[in-house]
Amino acid sequence: MIDNLRRLRRERHQEARAWKERTGGKVVGVFCCDVPEELIYAAGMLPVRLLGAHEEATEGNLHFPTNVCPYPTSCLDQALKGRYDYLDGVIVPNVCDMVRAMYGAWKLNVGIPYLYFLEVPQRIGPRGVEFFAEMLGRFRSSLEELSGNTMSDASLRQAIDVYNRNRELLRQAYDLRKTGLISGVELQEMVLSSMLMPKEAHNQLMSECLEEASQRNPAGDGVRLLVSASMLDDTDFFQLIEECGGQVVADDMPTGSRYFFHSVDSEAEPLHALAQRHLAEIPCPRKMLPGARLQYVDETMADADVQGAIIHNLKACDCHLYEYPYLREMLEAKGLPVLFFRGEETEAELETQRDDIEAFIEMIRG
Amino acid sequence: MTVGGIDVGSVNTSVVVFNDGCILSQLVLGSDSTDSDPHRAIELALGAAGCDWSQLGPVVATGRGRSSVDFAQRQSSEVVCQARGALWVCPAARTVINLGGESSRVISLNGEGRVTSFVTNDKCAAGSGLFLESMAYLMEVPVAVMGTMALEAAVVEEVSSRCAVFAESEVISHIHRGVGKERILAGLHRAVADRILDLVSRVTVEPEVVVTGGVAKNVAVVKELETRLGYPVWLPPEPQVVGALGAALLARDDSGK
Repeated sequence: MIDNLRRLRRERHQEARAWKERTGGKVVGVFCCDVPEELIYAAGMLPVRLLGAHEEATEGNLHFPTNVCPYPTSCLDQALKGRYDYLDGVIVPNVCDMVRAMYGAWKLNVGIPYLYFLEVPQRIGPRGVEFFAEMLGRFRSSLEELSGNTMSDASLRQAIDVYNRNRELLRQAYDLRKTGLISGVELQEMVLSSMLMPKEAHNQLMSECLEEASQRNPAGDGVRLLVSASMLDDTDFFQLIEECGGQVVADDMPTGSRYFFHSVDSEAEPLHALAQRHLAEIPCPRKMLPGARLQYVDETMADADVQGAIIHNLKACDCHLYEYPYLREMLEAKGLPVLFFRGEETEAELETQRDDIEAFIEMIRG
Repeated sequence: MTVGGIDVGSVNTSVVVFNDGCILSQLVLGSDSTDSDPHRAIELALGAAGCDWSQLGPVVATGRGRSSVDFAQRQSSEVVCQARGALWVCPAARTVINLGGESSRVISLNGEGRVTSFVTNDKCAAGSGLFLESMAYLMEVPVAVMGTMALEAAVVEEVSSRCAVFAESEVISHIHRGVGKERILAGLHRAVADRILDLVSRVTVEPEVVVTGGVAKNVAVVKELETRLGYPVWLPPEPQVVGALGAALLARDDSGK
């Protein structure tokens, strides 16, 4: 299971190129969870999440100072190194300063034929949802133009069904992880591969993985941990935790539960339902509503018997750092020890993190 | 049973041989010494204790280089070993400030002696033992006396606490301006203490506070910490072996005696 999932992530660029060749379709890169991929899928295109890499951003750092969030810089770096040369378009949502800055940076420096700036309101209530639904209407028209395909409400509803099915399968895997039938690394590989390949194929793959997992014996006597992260775009950190004797049983991160925890209401008007789910339900700290986020983190830990929490925030991710004290306070009030890391998207940081994770796990074991 | 603890740090290797509630021997060897090889180091410690390999029971390794100790039965983190060693030398310890060559950490303990939280320094060199060593070299002052000299200063010359590289250039500027070494050293020690106190502020600190590691031998750093904390800290007789002692105590637990 793990080898295939890992291959799909590691060979994502080759896989996307092969998909283009096979189908003649277009591939569109997206930043963040707030972009409803269903619209891109319904237009007959392949949405892929833009991911950085644990390597020195030698090209990206020429355009941005080093005291900003390293994730968008790393994505830009990958693009400047030619690794995203197959993309037909990139969607930049207005979610935070650095992602917003990617619009200009990619427009000026990366030869992408189509860049779309998706307005995502800061107001989360009904008027915000209404506004976002209107923005999604414009986005829909623009995607129709890019793809050359008309997007009917029926095709959009079908896309929502396919995506909801994927979310349901990932939620099943999330629950199996709590029982030790699926490891933390495996679930993260499932989520990352879901973000990178056609959803029907991923649904098929997920069904096979869940079937395989159900045949196993529960494994893992590791220390049961919650991981809350601003962005982990590979599985190295989870791998490190497992090597140190930890067992991730719950998470709060964009490349984890936030991607699949909430489904889209398939009965409601599609654009409004997409706006509601993506704007009002994903508990990303860019919304500055710590209460909702804390409640969400609490829900992710239900029945997980968490013994400790690791918070991994990329440096200068202001949104996550703003909520960090509240989150830490909430976790400690539950009696959970907390280990904090300021991530940098570099290869070298993993070895320095190892010492602290080993000590943290040994501390919890007592 | 005779057991061993070995702490392979970034600068020094420390060894403790322990039996029947007593430290039989303890050694601190610099990384520039050929004796600091873990095999050789434990042989020397065994020799000093009047024992040989055949009498040695379990060994626990700790420190940054713990994975290189192939004869250890198991490894343990510096946090746990420092806490365990500090509790042995000071049973009332509630906080351990461990100041090593590259790593600094502050460890909180509860009333039962269990570690409840800890923080480690980031990769920045400012505030580390190696920073003090390099400053001693720059100022042509032996490391062993730099703390004493700093305490002789009537005036403290300000040195940046934020970056080791900038601090070095500041020191050079002060030397060129003819500022006395004592005054510069006083500023350097205050800068090092600032960095340590940054860490201290991130966990709950309660007395007794035990200071361990090579930097604990520097009287100026310790005095600055005591002044800023507002109460005296507890210094082990040999602060550099506390990690190895903690490892030896874990080995004793493993041996069941």
